[in-house]
Amino acid sequence: MDYIWQGLQQAAVLIFTLDPETYSAVITTLKVTFTSITLSVIIGVPLGFLLGYFNFPGKKQLRMVVDTLLAIPTVVVGLLVYAFISRRGPLGWTNLLYTVPGIAIAQVFLILPIVISLTATAIEGLDRRLRPTLRSLGAGRVQLALTSLHEARFAVLIAVITAYGRAISEVGIAMMIGGNIKWYTRTMTTAITLETGKGQFSMGIALGVILLLIVFLLNSALVLLRRRTT
Amino acid sequence: MSEPLYRVEGLRYSYGKHFDLDVPELVIDHGESLGIVGPNGSGKSTLLNLLAFIDAPDAGTIYFEGVPSGPESLEARRSVTMLLQVSYLLKRTVFENVAYGLRLRGEMRDASERVREALSWVGLSPDKFARRMWHELSGGEAQRVALASRLVLRPKVLVLDEPTASVDRQSSYLIKDAIDRCRRMFNTSLIIVSHDYLWLNTVTDKLVRMEEGRLVEYVAGNVIHGPWEETGERLFAKRLSDGQVIVSARGTSLQSSAILNPSTITVALEPPKNESALNILKGRILNMSDEVSTENVLVEVVVAQIHLNVRVTKSSAIRLQLVPGKEVWVVFKATSLQWI
Repeated sequence: MDYIWQGLQQAAVLIFTLDPETYSAVITTLKVTFTSITLSVIIGVPLGFLLGYFNFPGKKQLRMVVDTLLAIPTVVVGLLVYAFISRRGPLGWTNLLYTVPGIAIAQVFLILPIVISLTATAIEGLDRRLRPTLRSLGAGRVQLALTSLHEARFAVLIAVITAYGRAISEVGIAMMIGGNIKWYTRTMTTAITLETGKGQFSMGIALGVILLLIVFLLNSALVLLRRRTT
Repeated sequence: MSEPLYRVEGLRYSYGKHFDLDVPELVIDHGESLGIVGPNGSGKSTLLNLLAFIDAPDAGTIYFEGVPSGPESLEARRSVTMLLQVSYLLKRTVFENVAYGLRLRGEMRDASERVREALSWVGLSPDKFARRMWHELSGGEAQRVALASRLVLRPKVLVLDEPTASVDRQSSYLIKDAIDRCRRMFNTSLIIVSHDYLWLNTVTDKLVRMEEGRLVEYVAGNVIHGPWEETGERLFAKRLSDGQVIVSARGTSLQSSAILNPSTITVALEPPKNESALNILKGRILNMSDEVSTENVLVEVVVAQIHLNVRVTKSSAIRLQLVPGKEVWVVFKATSLQWI
């Protein structure tokens, strides 16, 4: 048990002395996830809105594909993206392998289905009285669509936070595409994996604490937002 | 303006296999108000949705001021606004909710004043309520905010689906008052579905009844439902909870309902002597209301568990000193009941 206790003490030291190696992983993680979530929101919210708002032939099937992708394993995304951007791959010329943008782009494939699916659910879950209400107040087609999205804003934000939670805690993609390069592509999760493997718990625990803290904050935001949606 | 406000031709709307709305003809003139009564599921709300241009009919045409109109006609849709039975408020402040329709119309210049005015019409203090969020309101307050967001538009037509059915008494009173104010101030036509027969009588010019998707001429009426018992040779009787009995000429079945026209009932303060009418029932006045554009008063009398509307002239109401709470006798003939 001693080594766990020691690990905790050293973790506190790493956190409070702003240990550069520890915080390098934190900063890389934030860079990666901020990029991936921004791209996913830009692409996913409009697509999710279209999927939830309009009825068209094949909608159910499309929805099923998106929902299936919700459960896609991170290592499968890692494998596929790796195959495309490795030197021999069709997109090898982009030189994205073992880079921060590379991880971010691969993460987009992981969390985009979450943003699309949950946004569509948010739109579909809007109150049935919304449409007649807006129509009877004189809304045209565009106003109807925009106000519907606005009414779903809390639920859409829940979609985004859920997706972000998945991005920040995943390890497979960061490991396979990033390569866990110290000071460069090492993220919190890959650092924990490595340090634990080396039997050095202190940095792992320190990063684990920070990661838990971030997830806790995200979850608190979710709880507050859920109250707003009811 | 020669064209009426609404002219409806051959209107049809179906829900699956089981329900068809069929209104071959309906005309509503400018400034005229229409009340619609009828049992649940008879198609009243469906008709309102069509007249408010929220849904499109399967067949037929609605001419609004002479122009064929539907959900795609923005201009018609902006002249007509509808209040649902249980309103939906946008997830915004009260002010933004009321101002929403003005914003859509690009009429935000004097919005602040107009919103405050509309809130005061529905009995909500603008200073207290304008900045409240949608979730900080009671059900009755929310319904009043929803009404204010319609009144602020000064609509040509206000469509109301049971506007007071799910609110408290105080809100109900304020809602009715605001609707009446809107009618008088802007000459707004009202199309109202309500079970509140007395109120409909005070705010509408015309009452129609809906049954199984069809409009039938409104027989101003008290509906008395079965079951009945056979009594004597050619009579049916309905025993009331307090032992009094309503007697009617024999109908088609013991389960039938009968309509009793309020004009065929008289009110007396004492049980009349030498009266040929078979029905002389003791009751208590619950409510009274002025009828629009007539010299009559509608008196709601409770006899045992049954509410009877009785039409009397204003002069006799004054002569008999009728007031709510007073015990009276209602008198009508066995042949006054019309079987339906």
